[in-house]
Amino acid sequence: MGKLLRVGLTLLVVTIAVVAGSWVWNHYLYSPWTRDGRIRADVITIAPDVSGWVTQVSVKNNQAVNQGDPLFTIDDTRYQAVFAEARAKVAEQHSALELARHRYQSRQGLSDPQAITEQDLETYRINMESAKARLELARAKLEMARIDLERTQVVAPADGIISNLYLRQGNYVNRGTTVLSELKTDSFYVTGYFEETKLQMVQVGQSARMTLMGGDRTLKGTVISIAPGIADINTSSNAQMLPQVQQAFNWVRLAQRIPVDIALDPVPEDIHLSAGMTVSINLDSE
Amino acid sequence: MLHELGFGGMLFSPLLVLVPMAFILSAVTRLALHRLDLRRHIWKEAWFDVAAFVCYLAIIVYLFGG
Repeated sequence: MGKLLRVGLTLLVVTIAVVAGSWVWNHYLYSPWTRDGRIRADVITIAPDVSGWVTQVSVKNNQAVNQGDPLFTIDDTRYQAVFAEARAKVAEQHSALELARHRYQSRQGLSDPQAITEQDLETYRINMESAKARLELARAKLEMARIDLERTQVVAPADGIISNLYLRQGNYVNRGTTVLSELKTDSFYVTGYFEETKLQMVQVGQSARMTLMGGDRTLKGTVISIAPGIADINTSSNAQMLPQVQQAFNWVRLAQRIPVDIALDPVPEDIHLSAGMTVSINLDSE
Repeated sequence: MLHELGFGGMLFSPLLVLVPMAFILSAVTRLALHRLDLRRHIWKEAWFDVAAFVCYLAIIVYLFGG
């Protein structure tokens, strides 16, 4: 009897240990959690649409701006001159059109059919039409000059915070070259890089609990999308268009990590988020 | 809830703390059973000790492991 009790007690504890141990194993290996999560945000890169010297920088680094706030101003003297030229061209073409019209209409009104041939009259009419087209062309150029002049003032495209501002008064900026970036307000979200072994347990709409590195507060959110693809370096090719296939070990392989985007529920005021911060993510299983 | 341990900017798995906790608990259990002279009721002592450690670990992971 004593022997049976001894064996039974030990086996009971061992059985519980097997169950508990397999639970711990599954918890770590197969429940949808990751420590490889990052805070992200929508970043707008701002480039001027015209080239020139920067005459005024109206914002500071990390400053909050509203949509339409001026960011910086580009020297507009050249664009003023181009605008004035285009305006003068319009006036010139306007006069040319008036002249051509006047010539045509005065010939048209002649009662004596001998005074002008049909062919000459047609030439005057065509001259008038072409003067009309040249006026339209000059107007379009004026409009372009006006747009350029307007765009010497660069404004914020959305509400946000200015980042990476190294622009100084006097710098020369080129059209289309980014000079600063803006993080859109309230556009923060989280991307979790889940191992492919856990990906089948991730569903869109699943609720997520996240903790920032070094913080105890829990952020809440919802899975909004799972990336449909990641780069496969084996598909890149060399100069001869042959695939660059990587060597791999046969006995060990690393799980790929797939980005999963998570929308954040409203974050408490006292928690500061910066894009790029590390978060740990736990998805609640249904 | 115990999360990753930040130490000098590096993150460590909470298991780094949870495993020693379980180990200490199972050592205490072993010592207590020895003092109370209950170890004679155990059939295979090594099996029992390992099993106790795994049980403690599971309980601790459940309670603190998030």
